[in-house]
Amino acid sequence: MSVWILFIPSSFIAEILILGVPGPCLWGLVLSRRMYNLQVTGGGAYKFADLFKERLGVSIEKEDEMHCLVSGANFLLKAIRHEAFTHMEGEKEFVQIDPNDLYPYLLVNVGSGVSIIKVDGEGKFERVSGTNVGGGTYWGLGRLLTKCKSFDELLELSQKGDNSAIDMLVGDIYGGMDYSKIGLSASTIASSFGKAISENKELDDYRPEDISLSLLRMISYNIGQISYLNALRFGLKRIFFGGFFIRGHAYTMDTISFAVHFWSKGEMQAMFLRHEGFLGALGAFMSYEKHGLDDLMSHQLVERFPMGAPYTGGNIHGPPLGDLNEKISWMEKFVRRGTEITAPVPMTPSKTTGLGGFEVPSSRGSALRSDASALNVGVLHLVPTLEVFPLLADPKTYEPNTIDLSDQGEREYWLKVLSEHLPDLVDTAVASEGGTEDAKRRGDAFARAFSAHLARLMEEPAAYGKLGLANLLELREECLREFQFVDAYRSIKQRENEASLAVLPDLLEELDSMSEEARLLTLIEGVLAANIFDWGSRACVDLYHKGTIIEIYRMSRNKMQRPWRIDDFDAFKERMLGSGGKQPHRHKRALLFVDNSGADVILGMLPLAREFIRRGTEVVLVANSLPALNDVTAMELPDIVAGAAKHCDILRRAAEMGGLLVDAMVNPGDGSKKDLTSAPLMVVENGCGSPCIDLRQVSSELAAAAKDADLVVLEGMGRALHTNFNAQFKCEALKLAMVKNQRLAEKLIKGNIYDCVCRYEPPSL
Amino acid sequence: MDPPTQISHLALDIGGTLVKLVYFSSNGSEEESRNGCSVVKGKLCFAKFETRKIDDCLDFIRFNILHHSGVQHQNGAVHDYLSVKATGGGAFKFADLFKEKLGILFDKEDEMHSLVGGVNFLLKTVPREAFTYLDGQKDFVNIDHNDLYPYLLVNIGSGVSMIKVDGDGKYERISGTSLGGGTFLGLGKLLTKCKSFDELLELSHHGNNRVIDMLVGDIYGGTDYSKIGLSSTAIASSFGKPISDGKELEDYQPEDVARSLLRMISNNIGQIAYLNALRFGLKRIFFGGFFIRGLEYTMDTISVAVHFWSRGEAKAMFLRHEGFLGALGAFTSYKTHSTNDSKPHHHTVQRAILNCSGDSFRHIPVTSNLNDSETIECSINLV
Repeated sequence: MSVWILFIPSSFIAEILILGVPGPCLWGLVLSRRMYNLQVTGGGAYKFADLFKERLGVSIEKEDEMHCLVSGANFLLKAIRHEAFTHMEGEKEFVQIDPNDLYPYLLVNVGSGVSIIKVDGEGKFERVSGTNVGGGTYWGLGRLLTKCKSFDELLELSQKGDNSAIDMLVGDIYGGMDYSKIGLSASTIASSFGKAISENKELDDYRPEDISLSLLRMISYNIGQISYLNALRFGLKRIFFGGFFIRGHAYTMDTISFAVHFWSKGEMQAMFLRHEGFLGALGAFMSYEKHGLDDLMSHQLVERFPMGAPYTGGNIHGPPLGDLNEKISWMEKFVRRGTEITAPVPMTPSKTTGLGGFEVPSSRGSALRSDASALNVGVLHLVPTLEVFPLLADPKTYEPNTIDLSDQGEREYWLKVLSEHLPDLVDTAVASEGGTEDAKRRGDAFARAFSAHLARLMEEPAAYGKLGLANLLELREECLREFQFVDAYRSIKQRENEASLAVLPDLLEELDSMSEEARLLTLIEGVLAANIFDWGSRACVDLYHKGTIIEIYRMSRNKMQRPWRIDDFDAFKERMLGSGGKQPHRHKRALLFVDNSGADVILGMLPLAREFIRRGTEVVLVANSLPALNDVTAMELPDIVAGAAKHCDILRRAAEMGGLLVDAMVNPGDGSKKDLTSAPLMVVENGCGSPCIDLRQVSSELAAAAKDADLVVLEGMGRALHTNFNAQFKCEALKLAMVKNQRLAEKLIKGNIYDCVCRYEPPSL
Repeated sequence: MDPPTQISHLALDIGGTLVKLVYFSSNGSEEESRNGCSVVKGKLCFAKFETRKIDDCLDFIRFNILHHSGVQHQNGAVHDYLSVKATGGGAFKFADLFKEKLGILFDKEDEMHSLVGGVNFLLKTVPREAFTYLDGQKDFVNIDHNDLYPYLLVNIGSGVSMIKVDGDGKYERISGTSLGGGTFLGLGKLLTKCKSFDELLELSHHGNNRVIDMLVGDIYGGTDYSKIGLSSTAIASSFGKPISDGKELEDYQPEDVARSLLRMISNNIGQIAYLNALRFGLKRIFFGGFFIRGLEYTMDTISVAVHFWSRGEAKAMFLRHEGFLGALGAFTSYKTHSTNDSKPHHHTVQRAILNCSGDSFRHIPVTSNLNDSETIECSINLV
């Protein structure tokens, strides 16, 4: 079932919003927008509405336009993280706005004319001003002056223009000098179109490019100025700009930003919204009170970018395809069609089925997309069960990503890493489904779709919003799922789990023979050593070909030489074992965020969990809800624990206490009552399907489990280094990982590949 | 004929288009007054020339001012250059010409300083100087000299400068816009092939902007969007109609285009001026510059804009001697600079205080056209 919301503002845009209900708790908002010329459709919005009624039986409810705009903006600013951004000299910077400190703000909607709206709260707003010099003026005057047939054409002209040919600049009046006494530089426009006075030139003597730019600057500056004056008048800190005149056009955003910056002497910044094009439709949608979306929180919304996103840019969304076959053929068709126009051509031919390198969906400045900065719009998934991890010291300042991908060098490096890893991933994924023709076809489509995402992000890093490595890795997993590769590493995971479980009893026996102190060190060494089994790391995949799991594990553990690159082991040991004969209090509950399947979880984390249980600490294993690479999932863990419990009473009793094993069925002969005093071992899902974890969005189950926890253990690169390396917690935290990437090792810990991190942090106040 | 007059002062404002002259013409009677000051009665006269016909201006000064003032370079006293206040870009450009032809040296004054000086002088000393203009109705406004400051001065030349004036010589350019007279004329020329400002303005008078502007009613189907206080005839988008009409420039009457342009620019200036006045809590906004020049069309649209944006709370005001603000400012600046001339000429005044008493002010009927040559009767205190 799906509900369509069509919103037709007074000007030139129709927005379509589709609500789909694919599952019991997940639904998505699919956004679509098309620009159409009223002339083409003939009768305008009303005819369009009739068409909808006739063809689809959908009647359109008319909502108050301004009300919709405001509700839409409120929704976006409160519910979507990093929705707002600034745009200065081509650089986008995402801004996080505290939902509790949002109001009042100024919303400037630049359509044909300009409405300036002061927003004081939900449904509380007032149109305080406006100007008749708006997008319609730009287009209308531009059309009369340049004969351009479309808004986009006119806008594109402006990008090649030089406004000094037609504007009178301060320098033109003061003989090339600044009029610095009043703070005007020589290049400031003194009079828009002022040069057309003094020269005996006709319209035909001016380049349309220059006229278009002069017009654009005149109107943008004016809008910026009037908006600033109104913000000042009402003491508003923030100005958000939207409307079709702006809609992702880099230069327009720059000029408006410049004007606000100029007039406010740098004290105010113009801001823009990523989903700005859907303000009206979102608002119309929000007006259906029955949705009960008023109190939506940002942690409940996940935005995903389907495979069509990089091809369609920010303008037109791909068809809402539900069927896999449709998706693949859409992708194939698009690629075919694209090859004829501006080619999304793979740079390197596919090795097997996978594609390497970056495809360029449509090149910069091509006719398809006049402005590369037009941002993409994804599908918003509402997951009402997501919550903010309650043990975060300060959720407001928490930033999951450790590496800043707004740095161009970092971004290019990581995009390249993902691109190079792609062929292997495709091979694995196809092999995981028996290498059938169908799997190969889906593998190809996946490779195309994902390289298109990467290419798009190379072109416009902000295309999908604020970019972090966590988002990138999740995008890849989402893309795999989109082509129904449910679990690409399924068979690898199974094989490794079996192999690891087979050697676990020997390991446990070895551990049990040690002194408490030696055991603790061996356990931590074991976690770090076992973390080498990571299919996400190129270096580790190469290692696999050189030995069996237990050989690699032992080799790896033997190489563990303290001090590690970051080594807080002594502090952790003191906390666990005490010092000077003082017995420390035991942890009440430890949350263990696990990473990979196989040796990593079975030979590394499970023995550590067992140690906590022995000390009477409740243990919660936290694992992914959905597969990502070879990461273990919450679904798989009970089987693994059951397998381990076969050889270990401690684990068995704890698993029984934690409800992982039903009854004493595993070992009916040994069911004495005193066994039940064990601390429980539990498993919860974390709510995500990515190798990283954004602790602002975790499952409610995990949030509930966290309430009693006083220790968080984060293990592995994705969760302890790529994300959360700098995260502060209200409780104690132990971050354990082996760095399996040379560059990351250099950047993060000034070390080398295979260096280890053991970071122990007391509660953050 | 008037009795022979003696010229005491001359100041010039040489712009890109016009040369404006202000000079004092005494009626010959010099009275000794208290404090050892001699008071000269006379009048301030105004004259205007096209900059491209600068020779006419030179001739005028030579025969009507210098001649009558008796300043001649007789006896070959070449070093006896006459120092004259001048402002405007032409003060630099034509300095050599004036020196060579008339023996006049320019004492250059800052443009904005002169502008403000001129306005302050007019508002403080000349009664019935300021007026409002709404619906063709001109109403003079009496301004209490002691409650003049602060005010907003909007000078609409090619571009627009907005100046907050706090007192004599105390002012700040707080804002401006590049949409000014130059935009009107520049865009107008491109769109209508008009050759001059006056032609374009005249054209606009016969136009109908609704043909080319998108009105609120065009969007909301002829009904008011009264919820937000917009009437159906309010302009929603200047020049917005060519888009939906799919028409070309040739399809429109130049009159309508000119009208639409005029309203767009006047509206915008009025709005930005009002917002700035509001920001600084200024009660009065005076508009001047070549775009205004006492022209009814522009005064009317500006007034309408200010009225609209302020919801009737603010009124645009104009000045009768608006065309000579810079020249007047330069003229009054004499008093602030004492010349260090060790050998004062008999007509060189070291300190002068201009007075315009209501008594000596010649009555000007409200209905009279504002005339460039209109004079202000006044007296000058010679120190």
